[in-house]
Amino acid sequence: MVVGAGAAGTAAAIEAARAGVRVTLVDENPIGVSMMGLDVPQFIGRRVKDPLPARDVMLERVVAANSSLAEAEEAGVEVQLGTCVWGAFRNSDTSRVLDGPQLGLADDERSWMVKYDRLIVAAGARDLAMSFPGSGLAGVMGANGAHALMSRYQALASRRMVVLGAGNLGLTTAQMALDRGVEVAAVVDVSSSARGDEALLSRLRGAGVELYTSHTVKEAVGGAGEIESVVLVEIDDDCDPVAGTEKVVAADTVCLAIGLVPNVELLALLGCDLAFASERGGWAPVHDDRMRTSVDSVFVAGDVAGFHDGMVLDAEIARNQGRLAGIAAAESLGAIDEDEALARIDDLKPTAVDAATPDAHSGWQRWHRSLVNAGGLEVLACQCEEVTRAEIIGLQPPRYLGRGSEQASRRNLRTQAGANPVNADQVKRLTRAGMGHCQGRLCREQVALLLAEESGADIADIPVMSYRPPVRPLPLRVMWPHDEPEQVRCEWPKWFSPTHRVLG
Amino acid sequence: MDSADVVVIGAGVSGLSSAYFLAKAGRDVVVVDKGIVGNEASGRNGGMVSERVDEPALIPLAVEATRTWETLADELGYPTEFVQEGRLQVAVTEEEMGALHAELDNALRHGLHAEMVDSAEVRDMIPGITERTLGGLFFASGGHANTQLAVQAFAWAFQDLGGRLYQNTAVTGFQVVGDRVAAVETTAGPIAADMVVAAAGPQTGLMAGLVGVHIPVAPARVEILATAPIEPLTSMALVGNGLYGHQAVRGNLIFGGGAHEWADVDLTTTPGKPNTPLIRSIARRLAELLPDVADVPVIRSWAGVVEQAPDYMPIIDILDHPSNYVVVTASAHGFGISPATGKVVSDLVLYGETNIDIGGLGLGRFANITPDWRHQRGWIPAPNRF
Repeated sequence: MVVGAGAAGTAAAIEAARAGVRVTLVDENPIGVSMMGLDVPQFIGRRVKDPLPARDVMLERVVAANSSLAEAEEAGVEVQLGTCVWGAFRNSDTSRVLDGPQLGLADDERSWMVKYDRLIVAAGARDLAMSFPGSGLAGVMGANGAHALMSRYQALASRRMVVLGAGNLGLTTAQMALDRGVEVAAVVDVSSSARGDEALLSRLRGAGVELYTSHTVKEAVGGAGEIESVVLVEIDDDCDPVAGTEKVVAADTVCLAIGLVPNVELLALLGCDLAFASERGGWAPVHDDRMRTSVDSVFVAGDVAGFHDGMVLDAEIARNQGRLAGIAAAESLGAIDEDEALARIDDLKPTAVDAATPDAHSGWQRWHRSLVNAGGLEVLACQCEEVTRAEIIGLQPPRYLGRGSEQASRRNLRTQAGANPVNADQVKRLTRAGMGHCQGRLCREQVALLLAEESGADIADIPVMSYRPPVRPLPLRVMWPHDEPEQVRCEWPKWFSPTHRVLG
Repeated sequence: MDSADVVVIGAGVSGLSSAYFLAKAGRDVVVVDKGIVGNEASGRNGGMVSERVDEPALIPLAVEATRTWETLADELGYPTEFVQEGRLQVAVTEEEMGALHAELDNALRHGLHAEMVDSAEVRDMIPGITERTLGGLFFASGGHANTQLAVQAFAWAFQDLGGRLYQNTAVTGFQVVGDRVAAVETTAGPIAADMVVAAAGPQTGLMAGLVGVHIPVAPARVEILATAPIEPLTSMALVGNGLYGHQAVRGNLIFGGGAHEWADVDLTTTPGKPNTPLIRSIARRLAELLPDVADVPVIRSWAGVVEQAPDYMPIIDILDHPSNYVVVTASAHGFGISPATGKVVSDLVLYGETNIDIGGLGLGRFANITPDWRHQRGWIPAPNRF
């Protein structure tokens, strides 16, 4: 089973199939409308064209956007599009009921389970979201979401865009938008200079795109729930806004292109070791040079294996990782022997070594700090559950409970961190930040950054918030097991029924 | 050496409630836990609170607990999200209907307030409930609370009284002198103690083994799920179609049930708590019970490890030897009865007795149980084949 039909996943599937392995490649695109509304999995900020083209048209576009899908089918890969993977299950110390590792799959109508011998996760990366006043308005989206709408769906409904982040991610997003007739009003970065590729930058400059360095967003302003303009402000070396430097930029879209975060949900569910590596986008799977994870049957490839900004410009890195994973999976299944595997690896074109990639989080921290300084603490860090930064820092009970007690007002992250490292899951349970229907996709990183900042801890020491199935919001009627064994149905136990009691 | 009047082992709801009431009585108390507050079953269960319990021996404790929940948040100074709008158990088969009538008789015999409601009344109480509903049994005193907020409320209130909480601190042994525990050995060093309260949940048996005592409990993993928040549907605790649960104040439907899986645990690590495809069957039963919500997405599921004594009942007792070791383990009743558990344990520590009737919860009832009872019953993990 290969999850994700991007460059890495498709390459992995082709390589494994050519080695004689029976391969199924699943990809959730095209996403259904209800998921798009939840910003799951891509952060598209309600900037999708309405009405969306019919599903078969969307499907055609997804296929057209990925020329290697045809090659995969020729190689004998079974390709299942419009199919999401919402769960991954395998036996462990406290769970021994399964007759083999398996994935939970679903389309819009139903779910089913698929067993696998080997799993290659090429689930990509998701947008790093950060809040500012007005970031809940329609039109605030992520670069990955924008890319999906522009290239895969041809359904981006933006006229004038401000891009946040002047690394390769931001610059390519701006270029892509220009190529599709979207005006790019500004590219903004908190750094004192653009971080991305020089050639790309001068092309954008040539096209008249304004670059604002040492700037952050003070707020997005709009009416009727839609963005109309963005207020930028210059920041000093301490990330504090410089009074009087505000600039109002008209735009209907703000695209967050600050960073991408590996989609490690399925790997976390399977118990693959994750490690924090800022130069790989934060929490990423531990893997060897053949793309093998700590779990024997599981391999990774592409952005999910660790993302850095240089990968935006060179899809060959992901493709090579995919081929390595496909070869390693085929070898581990005995489809090819070690010599054959090594010969196939030798055929791979070497790509730029990505050893010297820079730390991502110093930039993220600078963005976050500037947004906090410019926007204040009364900004929602968690949109779904409506939890502000101040409420997270103060470990305040959920707002729906009304005014807290005097005792509760004395509690905060610092008092909590007194004796123990701050635990992101505990903060989630107490404040509800991260408990919403986006399943923490839009707030995990900023909550972690806030916890690090407020508790004085290193970001690497803030444990990753746990992932639980389903890793996509799945309607009860879809999760419904049409394939449920009659035995499960009939022998459904009552809660620890005392009727079984036989005392000694 | 670090020391305390009482060392409580376990920062779950039973341990923290005990610690809170002991601190309130002026005792110097240390709580140790190998993990963090409420991270195991105490913070992962369905949050049900009820006078209605399976066994008569538990009723005095459950009645006291329900009474205490009403004012608990005010007393502790932190929210528990306790909602007391009743507990409704519905029947969807004639067999279940018969069981409800038997339960009603049982409840009335023990002086509880309970009443049968017919299917029309059930549909008034829970709009949109399945047409298969034949009737229900209603306990007005039942309710539910937010497990994670409530456990933390006990912890913070305990700390506010000067109690010391040592998280990420595992117990590694006991120094026993004569017939008493002199000190609890932990990964943070030994702590001298006059009394020990072991509220170690699934680790109860292993913990007692360190002082040479056999306490029969078997750990088991159970599963539960949560939907996205929806408009208010019901504020009752609801049991039916093989599930138990409630709608959280925030709006999420939180329902669990189905097969449990026997497990083994150890004293120093956190047991794995994976879900299985069972959550699909839970989703189906929830959609059958409340057909109108079938389009609502499930956004999360989780699992917890609870412990069960051979008769599915709590054990609250003082050991004969060592004589200053109080054991408290709840057989998955822990959350609902926790306010009373804390009072009872506090009484046992302070006075050696309590005026709440826990006569049926002592260790004496297992006097004849053999060490291999789990094997005899099959209450053991399946063979390891991963």
